[in-house]
Parts: sequence; structure tokens; C-alpha cells
Amino acid sequence: MSTETPTLESLSALVQSQQAVLDMHQSMNMEVFYWWCTALMLMIHAGFLAYEMGASRGKNALAAGIKNILALAMIIPVFYLVGWWIYLSFTTGLIPTSVSEALPWSTSMGPKLDEMGTGIFWAAFALFGATTGSILSGAVIERIRVSAFLILTVLVGGVVWILGASWGWHPEGWLLTEWGYHDVGASGVVHAIAGFFTLGVLINLGPRKGKFIKGIAQTIAPHSLPMTLIGLMMIIFGFFGFLGGCIIFNTGETGWTTIYNTPTNLSAFAFNTLMGFSGGIIGCYFATRDPFWTMSGGLVGIISVAAGLDIYDPALAFIVASVTGVGAVKFAQLLERYGIDDAVGAVAVHGFSGIAALLFVGIFSNGTPNAEGLPAITFAGQLVAALVMIALGFIPGYSVSLLLKKLNTLRVPESVEDLGIDEVELLAKPYPEANVPATIQSEVPNKLANI
Amino acid sequence: MGTSFLSWDNVSAYFMFADKPLVLILFTIVVGFICISLIMSIKQHEDKAFQRHANNQKMTPN
Repeated sequence: MSTETPTLESLSALVQSQQAVLDMHQSMNMEVFYWWCTALMLMIHAGFLAYEMGASRGKNALAAGIKNILALAMIIPVFYLVGWWIYLSFTTGLIPTSVSEALPWSTSMGPKLDEMGTGIFWAAFALFGATTGSILSGAVIERIRVSAFLILTVLVGGVVWILGASWGWHPEGWLLTEWGYHDVGASGVVHAIAGFFTLGVLINLGPRKGKFIKGIAQTIAPHSLPMTLIGLMMIIFGFFGFLGGCIIFNTGETGWTTIYNTPTNLSAFAFNTLMGFSGGIIGCYFATRDPFWTMSGGLVGIISVAAGLDIYDPALAFIVASVTGVGAVKFAQLLERYGIDDAVGAVAVHGFSGIAALLFVGIFSNGTPNAEGLPAITFAGQLVAALVMIALGFIPGYSVSLLLKKLNTLRVPESVEDLGIDEVELLAKPYPEANVPATIQSEVPNKLANI
Repeated sequence: MGTSFLSWDNVSAYFMFADKPLVLILFTIVVGFICISLIMSIKQHEDKAFQRHANNQKMTPN
């Protein structure tokens, strides 16, 4: 044991070394937090995979699955190539400012010892983009060409949504600095944009064959409703990673903040996410009594409160989610009346609920301050942002799908739709033994009978 | 051939070719090329599969 009397210098050196340890551990904790948020977000894609395959008829189940897998695989590299640069460069509008460190050949976009955070934030945002692209995926099942779908999903997941995020989900984005936009859980920049992009595509794609007979919508039953329900629950599980990734883990003394640099914490997110989840389920059940919509209601509920997760009273979040749950069903019915075949209700679940979320924040949080020097939250600001999100999603979705339609590359031929895409394009069947009759007596010996 | 450093002292970006921007730009172009060629390849595959299906339908007696 040392008997030396500590001096001011030795104590100062000790404090500095302890501070360095603390700083390093804070940075590592930040990386660990987003690492697991990103991992959890992959569960969203497992869920999308299950529920889209389940929602398809058996003849198209594998085609629905493979386009979902390829969407994930394509959006990640495209987000690496352009997404991060768009996010950091377009905060003022459509003219990019030069952010050379976000370009894919920058040394910041790779392993770097003195820069913790860039890669893990990029990864979380890449998965947000993949979620955005997957929202389109379910709506267009059973008739879109995979090549056309990939062009569209990369456009919305790698480019369009992140432009909206640069405008409204960045501390310097013009929707925040000029209008006080508030959307902490990405109801607008992810869900509304993806939902209205999808609507634009669906208008040009047209309904599945047999969906409308003499203008009246028919039910095309999913080949596996249980798989869709489990898939939806997996998406909701993954949303805890998504919403965790929306909160900023600050090092130093600041603690948690929203992406707008206003104070918050995970407790606020926990209260309102769960209350929103429950409210949405109940709202959709009231409106439909339908298993698929009841489970979708959980997603509707979370999306409907995500924009204001940091500032809602949990009971208010529940009410908002319940009301939006009923509204989303009515919106889906309205779309059907106009001949839109949205196979999984993506426009209503994501588009309608995302816009409702922005407007509800405007109604209930009017006057709430933003970070110093920025305009407060207002209904007018939220309304303007909602219109921007609708246009930003719809215009590219409609335009590019129209171009693909004109080139005759948007939709599979009618005879392929009849037989099923799996058999024609993938030369595979999801359940090759489905027509083998079940035997009365199993050929497997019953071991228990011989004991 | 790809290493950008020979000692861990004062290293910042430590991935391969980090000190060769032209190589990194080339890699970026290759990534873009692979993504675009995937879509083109899928389109070709679809065209062939749909054509094969159409031919089969023509050959099948009613």
C-alpha cells in the first residue's frame, strides 16, 4: 500500500484518467444501444416476410417473400451510396450543401478509430430505410414484377424517405427550423411518406385479378392468416428497436434527447408506445372484428402516437390510437370504394395513421416549445409538414410507377397472375406436399405403445 | 497490398485502401454497378420466364 501523500497534480491526473475511462464507456454504451436497436429492427423484416407471404395466396407466397428479401438487400447498399449523404446534405430543401464526409468514398464511411457513432447511426438509418421500402412491399403482392418493385422500393427506401428525414427529422431541417415540425418517432418521415408513395404505385399497378367484380370489392383470402398475425406481432416487436433508434443517446451530461435536441427519456417512449399499441388494437377491433385488422391495429396505434411519443399523456396516447384505429379502417374502406387494391392495408395503416399522428400532435401540443431559437410546435406547422409528406411520397411513387407501366414493365402478364408467379418465375412451390392426403395411420412407429 | 498503415500508432481510418481515394471511388462504382445489374438481371429472368410460360400455353392443347 502506497504511503505517498497525494498531491494536487496526482489527484488531477487521476481525475483526468477516470474521466477518459468514463468518456470511452459512454461512447461504447451509445454504440451498444444502437447496435441492439438495429438488430431488433431486423425483426421488423422477419415480420414483413411472414405476414406478406401469409397474406398472399399459396401460388404467390414465395414471390412475395423473395421480393421482400431482395428489398432489404438492395436498400442497404443504396443507402450506403446515397442515403446518408442525402440526409446530411438536403436540410434546406432540394439544393444539396456539400457534406463530403457522408460520401461513400469518405474515410468517415468506414472503420475509423477516432469516430464512434457514424457507422452505428448509419446502420440504424439504413434499417429505417429498409422498413420504409418494406411498407410498399405488402400492398403490391401477387401482381407486381420483382424488377419493378425493386426500382420502386429502392427509390422510397434509399432516397425519398431520407430526403423527408433531412427536411423534418434533422436538427437543421427546414421543416423544423421554419415550422417547428415535431415527429420524434418518424410517423411522417417514414410511415406517411411510404404510405402515400404506395398509394401512387397502387393507382398505376391496378388491383389483383378478381379483386373487383362489377366494381364491388371481393375478399381475396390470405393463404395463411395465422402467419400474417404472427408476422405483424414480430413487426411490433421490432418497432421497439425502431423507436429506440429514434431517441438520441448523448454522451456527456445531456442524457437522452429527441432527434430535435429536446429532452426526453425511454420511460416516455415506453408509456406511450404500449398505450398506443393497445389503443390501436381496440380501435381496429371495434371497427372490423377482423383478425388481420385487429392485429394491424397494434401497428396503427404505435404509428399514430409515434410523432408525439415524448410529450403525450399515456391515456391521451391510448385515445389517439383508438380513434386512429377506427379511422384507418374507414380510410381503407374508402380506398376500396375507389378501386384501390391494397392487399395489406399499407396506405391506411402507414399513410393515414402517419398523417393523423402529425395532426394530432398539432392539435394537442400546440405551443409546446422546441429547442431554443426554433419555432414552437403549432397545428399550422404540422399541417404544412403533413402536406409535404403526402406530396413527397405520392409524386415520385406515382410518376415512376407510371413510367414503368408505360414501358410495360410494372405488372406480370395476366396468364402468369392466373397460374401464380411462384410456378412461372421461381419454378418452386411453397408447399410441394400440400396435395398429399394425410394418412389415417402414421408410418412412424408409436414408441409409447410398446412401453 | 491494401493496407493503409503499418503501425497502430496515430491511426484514424484503418480500413483497407483508406489512404487511396481513387480505389474507394472505384469500389463505390462497383457497388452501384452490382445493384443496377441485379435489377437488369431480374428483368431478363422475368422476360424469359414469362415468354417460356406463354410458349407453353400455346403448345398446350385446349
